[in-house]
Amino acid sequence: MALAVLAMENAAESPQAQLGLIEAAKAGDLAAFETLMRQHERLVLVTALRLLGSLPDAQDVSQEVFLRLYRNLGKVDAAGNLAGWLYRVTANACHDVRRRKRPESPVEFAENLRAGGADPQQAATEAERRRVLEMSLQMLPEKERAALVLRDLEGLSTEEVARALGSSEATVRSQISKARVKVRSFVERYFRSRNLGSQ
Amino acid sequence: MHCKDWEERIALHVGGDLPAAESSAVERHLGECSGCQVLWSGMKESLELLLRAHAEPLPPAAYTAVRGRVIAELVDRRRVWWRWAAGLAAAVVVMLVALAVWQERPVPPLPRLAMAVPAAPPLAYARGSERGPVRSHDRKGVVPTHRSPLVPRQPLLVRLVTDDPNIVIYWIAD
Repeated sequence: MALAVLAMENAAESPQAQLGLIEAAKAGDLAAFETLMRQHERLVLVTALRLLGSLPDAQDVSQEVFLRLYRNLGKVDAAGNLAGWLYRVTANACHDVRRRKRPESPVEFAENLRAGGADPQQAATEAERRRVLEMSLQMLPEKERAALVLRDLEGLSTEEVARALGSSEATVRSQISKARVKVRSFVERYFRSRNLGSQ
Repeated sequence: MHCKDWEERIALHVGGDLPAAESSAVERHLGECSGCQVLWSGMKESLELLLRAHAEPLPPAAYTAVRGRVIAELVDRRRVWWRWAAGLAAAVVVMLVALAVWQERPVPPLPRLAMAVPAAPPLAYARGSERGPVRSHDRKGVVPTHRSPLVPRQPLLVRLVTDDPNIVIYWIAD
């Protein structure tokens, strides 16, 4: 039974089924559009969350992205490129949100680092991993963060990342390598600081 | 300490972003340089940590909230659209009814026309001529005038008789 449900879900995500859903949604079928949203909500919300670092902001962006999708159903290429379109629109919407918001200052960031590292209760928990993820992404410049999130966390190819971010593959590779070096140095500092705090 | 020259290539090698030739060169270097090996393993571990954190699912309520907001917005927009459409349809119906009423109104009979056509003006004769009417081409040295005082023009008179015997409309065209 579970296998059958899984098979149905997979079938629903095939290009033909997706095309059917897009056509139905275009004709005004809100249930079809909701199914389309369910299929892509993780992609949009989690990407926005990694890029913005705040769930309420990520939810606002997701709402905007899906409303934009509804308006552009006629333009979206149904032959498997819906995900690419969603990544691009999500990255752009997050960029707009960040531009409107005040960036976190390095002093606040250092405070966060000390506060997090001093709590032994968080050691090796999921919450700590999440915290390290959020903080290491927040300390990266916007473009390096976007490249790292799409390439390393979302698993897109360099070419797909370049298309989503509107830059060249060479630029993306350079951004990814810089981001990886910075993340590694941040994670090491974080755990060193935590260990010192707990002693 | 690791080699700065190799840093970028090691970072790309960690994620499998290097072509095969460059990748094997990096691996050879890692075999020889312990500092770069530490860099490589640190980078690999930190990326794995990030991936594990990224794979943790968000609470389903986070998705439900977004879906609910989007659907509510679409339903609301559709309601507004229908309101506009209904208003437009009502306006069209009112206009059609008004047009039908206007076309069905009693039309008063048109006033009868009585046209008095004056008699044709007499032909002008040149003073002292016995031959008949003078034409411009057979009067040498005489410049014909467009409006000769000898040819008085009669105005066109139109008399409109209405149902009311006390009202008669004259239309005089010069």
